[in-house]
Amino acid sequence: MKSLVTIKEGSIGHWVLRLLAAAIVVAIMLWIPTKGSNGLVTSATEALTLMSAAMALNLILGYTGQISIGHSAFYGTGAYVTGILVSKYEWSPWLTFPVAFLFAFVVGVLVSFPASRIKGVYLALVTLALALVFPNLLRWPKLESLTGGGPGIPNGDSALDTTGFNIGRRDGQMRNFEIFGWDPFGDLRGQGAIPFYYWIAAGIAVIVYLVIRGVVKSRAGRSLIAVRDNETAAAVMGVNLVATKAFAFGISAGLCALPGSVTAIRLGAVSPDIATLTILGSLTFLIIMVIGGAGSLWGPIIGAALYVFVTDRTGGWADDEAIPGVLRPFFGWSKIPPGSGIFAVILIVLMFVAPRGLVGVWKQYSPRVVRVVPRPAGVAHDAKPALVADTTTNSTPEGESE
Amino acid sequence: MSLLSVSHLKAGYGPINVLHDVELTVEAGEIVVMLGANGAGKTTTMRAISGMIGRSGEVHFEGADIARATPDAIVRAGIAQVPQGRGTFPELNVEDNLRCGAYIRSDKEIDADIDRWFDVFPRLRERRAQRAGSLSGGEQQMLAIARALMARPKLLLCDEPSLGLAPLITQELFAVIERLNREMGLSVLLVEQNANLAMHMAHRVYLIETGRIVASGSAAELSADDSIRKAYLGF
Repeated sequence: MKSLVTIKEGSIGHWVLRLLAAAIVVAIMLWIPTKGSNGLVTSATEALTLMSAAMALNLILGYTGQISIGHSAFYGTGAYVTGILVSKYEWSPWLTFPVAFLFAFVVGVLVSFPASRIKGVYLALVTLALALVFPNLLRWPKLESLTGGGPGIPNGDSALDTTGFNIGRRDGQMRNFEIFGWDPFGDLRGQGAIPFYYWIAAGIAVIVYLVIRGVVKSRAGRSLIAVRDNETAAAVMGVNLVATKAFAFGISAGLCALPGSVTAIRLGAVSPDIATLTILGSLTFLIIMVIGGAGSLWGPIIGAALYVFVTDRTGGWADDEAIPGVLRPFFGWSKIPPGSGIFAVILIVLMFVAPRGLVGVWKQYSPRVVRVVPRPAGVAHDAKPALVADTTTNSTPEGESE
Repeated sequence: MSLLSVSHLKAGYGPINVLHDVELTVEAGEIVVMLGANGAGKTTTMRAISGMIGRSGEVHFEGADIARATPDAIVRAGIAQVPQGRGTFPELNVEDNLRCGAYIRSDKEIDADIDRWFDVFPRLRERRAQRAGSLSGGEQQMLAIARALMARPKLLLCDEPSLGLAPLITQELFAVIERLNREMGLSVLLVEQNANLAMHMAHRVYLIETGRIVASGSAAELSADDSIRKAYLGF
């Protein structure tokens, strides 16, 4: 495969390329809350929470190969930990994040023990049960004093009070945060702190990304992929399967709780009826991850952006008037926005065209433009005779998978 | 004292017992080959020794009882296994596959060891950054062996390395194992269906049949026995 430009790994050109990519991401993240409309900022916040959850799911499903349809329960755990601690115990919302992580981590580890003995469809069923039980557990009368039962913890006097985030608060009032006339957090005095929520969601997304990146690129991360690719071989390398799965489940669950906490803070209320706390949430995370590209760091990010874009754009399409002319015959059959339906079709098509998701497509075609050549291995030892004659040469060409 | 001694080994999958009474030893510096037909219990023996399945009986390694040890403890004790088939991690590149092999180690010599196995298997150095899944069958088997050696084992278990390989590649693979044995003193327990090739390099041979060892001896002794030669070696 020919490529326009070839760059050596670790060379100056490679670093320039990386910095450029990072600069584009930072520019987009800064542009949205400062120049974007309130609607865009809200959508971006939504995308950031969904991508955090999908990234967390990616660790266990994409990297470790363990199916989980129960991540909405971990997400909900985060939302409720924050909701309960802030409304009932008057904690600062900031402090609830580590608690939410730890609590979900423990739940994740507990789930991993039965999970380490079962595989595939059976594991899917067990985690599915977790997702289905969770909203009912919240409604359970004996827990009502804590969870608020069916109505949950409403937005009101005793509700989650986002003024708990009082950066530079004076006289009990929130003050706007400004740098040279730029207020990235928006108007913090009113309830219109939309960019503020955006920044919380963005911060969590960055943390989740960095943790997962750190895990995946480490020795532990290699052992996760080893377990996914060949469990037997991993075990005879000395990888403790039970401990590895428990670790992956725990981290994945803990990270998934963080965007849950963000949701609780953003909505100022939690209830078992929030869609992402039910099985729908699990499926949304799953679809986002698969469309973006399972087992890749950028997959969930791209998947979430696309998901929110499509569902937003088609949000009004239940009404004939809102549907663009050409598409009118195809949509508007029911009074439900067709966003998830469209996404289902994208999913089916992608499974045939690009089973590795959008990132897989990128990895396949980007080398035609820019190819990064890996560093040569170690020091060449030409002097030493090789034990093996060089005849095992019937491998497939580079970059081509079987 | 033998490096590995197995006696009264029974193992199986759930209610099905595959090994009834396996008895074998591997001395330090020896290549021991276990021959047997499909379903005789070769792979099960390997899995029982490396702790992958439930087993009963006695398994001693360097005098220590490992019959109840977990797979990772057994690797730490010094037994590495090249699993059956293409036991590589297809989505990881060649170098990361080797790093996985050193999973139990935390010393500073891992990079030096990778370099060393790249010297032994120059094809792997060329394909260092390539996905293991894109390698040829022979290369993958070389990678699987190099990866097992990254754990710096005293005993290498090889489960049918010739499976699905061209005869020429198999020959080459066995030549490597022989040289590793000669030059490093690596002890090897290898199970095979491909009797002719494996017999050549074996110091001692065991025959296994329906979960029991039915004959043992040096390669020469076994091929001198007419009935055994007819049944297992086909000449």
